[in-house]
Amino acid sequence: MIEFQHVFKSYGQGRSILADISFKVSPGEFVYVAGPSGAGKSTLLKLIGGLEAPSRGSIQVNGQRLENLSPRARPYLRRAVGVILQDTHLLYDRSVIDNVLLPLAVTGLATEIARARARAALEKVGLSAKENAPPIELSGGEQQRLAIARAIVNRPAILIADEPTASLDRETARRIMSVFKDFNRVGVTTLIASHDDDLMAEYATRAFKIDPGRFADSADRRAPANKSTVSNQSPERTEPSLGEDA
Amino acid sequence: MKSLLRQHRYALAVTLRRLIAQPISSLTNLLVIALALALPLLGASLLISVEPVARQVSVTPELTIFLKIDAAPNAADQLAKRIRSEHHDQTSGVRVIPKDRALKDLRENPAWEQALKVLPNNPLPDAVVVTFTPGEDLAARAEELARIWRSWPNVDLVQLDSAWVQRLEALLRFGKVGLFLLGLSVMLVVLATVFNTVRMQALSQREEIGVARLVGATEGFVRRPFLYLGALTCTLAALVSIGIARVALIPLNDALASLARSYDAEFALALPSILVLTLAVLSVACLGALSARWSVERNTRF
Repeated sequence: MIEFQHVFKSYGQGRSILADISFKVSPGEFVYVAGPSGAGKSTLLKLIGGLEAPSRGSIQVNGQRLENLSPRARPYLRRAVGVILQDTHLLYDRSVIDNVLLPLAVTGLATEIARARARAALEKVGLSAKENAPPIELSGGEQQRLAIARAIVNRPAILIADEPTASLDRETARRIMSVFKDFNRVGVTTLIASHDDDLMAEYATRAFKIDPGRFADSADRRAPANKSTVSNQSPERTEPSLGEDA
Repeated sequence: MKSLLRQHRYALAVTLRRLIAQPISSLTNLLVIALALALPLLGASLLISVEPVARQVSVTPELTIFLKIDAAPNAADQLAKRIRSEHHDQTSGVRVIPKDRALKDLRENPAWEQALKVLPNNPLPDAVVVTFTPGEDLAARAEELARIWRSWPNVDLVQLDSAWVQRLEALLRFGKVGLFLLGLSVMLVVLATVFNTVRMQALSQREEIGVARLVGATEGFVRRPFLYLGALTCTLAALVSIGIARVALIPLNDALASLARSYDAEFALALPSILVLTLAVLSVACLGALSARWSVERNTRF
């Protein structure tokens, strides 16, 4: 579960990125985070992943309040959240499988078990045949899938991805989204930031739209009977751009 | 526990991979540290080899009292008797060497034989050789007794035979201080070299460190390979420095052997014992790891 309560984020001298954001995401949801460049989509995801700290407000991820989390405990939270950033941050001096093995080495998993899990992750994203290749030999879509394999190999409860289909052709983008959907189907809470409204509408079940100074949640449009989760307290709310319950 | 061991094994593998990935840089660093370490090691070899010689000589200190040439024939015996009675608690032996016996001994030396033949009379005085009882303040006691005996009648010269040992001991003390300062300088060289090596590695591994943190690596996990890098580089450098010192001692000992033979003696420089060398290698490894930790803490804050 992810919960934001009146979260503010600003950089430097008052450059506000997120203002008074509140929402709840239940386990197993597939959320699309939309908004123009610079609106704060990446910042929102980084806050969830514990990669950045809020200026004000409270964030709860996977049962842990991030503001109470000590620096020593932070890495353990990150293991529960698979992160795929806009730049895939692959290690180009290592093979495909070594990239996927890194999160398992961090946990100290036995080599044989780690290799089996890394191979299973590569199989899920369709890169089994290229496990010994260097990432530089992979296409853009394959590199994105490798980043996904690395993010899911530790079996995280939450998967967040920042523009995973940017700069990919339509067909490749769909294949990437299918991979995310597969993980979501087995209960992995998924949040994806993207510019591609049409593509996201095909896969996501809920959408956040962030405009500078505004936050909207598609779940707000649902009937009160829908217990989902939303409690956006933002003073200026707009309608989400994603379609019906999309 | 097993998990921690696996993480250490992983860190060691990463360290070796990084060392092998930059062979020239790694070898250069290793050689710089090894050469720096070889200097105090050679200094220690010299001190360790010379110290027993000084100790051995200084345990049997002797003093020679030369009587005046015109002293009565029994003056030496009377002097020896007086020393035995007045200073028996501080002396372990008193020997009289009559001038005739001294001349006879000298004539047996071919180098002196010709020179002595041309002399009309025996130029040597009677002498009394006093051996001191060993003790803590031996040097001071010997000095004090020499001062007293110089004032006795018929005494021409009192020669403290252990004076050169004292000078040697003073030289050894000087050498120890010098070696300590050299050791400190070398320690700084090792610290600086490892610090810089780790700094360069940390900067070049920025991406990998970022990814490791992204996937949940603890700071311990991030730092461990750098600590191994410092410790491993220093361990290898220390072993190489022992090899360098060992090789350097061969020509030094050859040259020293010729010198020692001219004094009818045998002397050779030797490396410190295996135990001392092992402790030195471990200390240098710890120093490398500490320097690496200091560097990695400063250079991975991003």
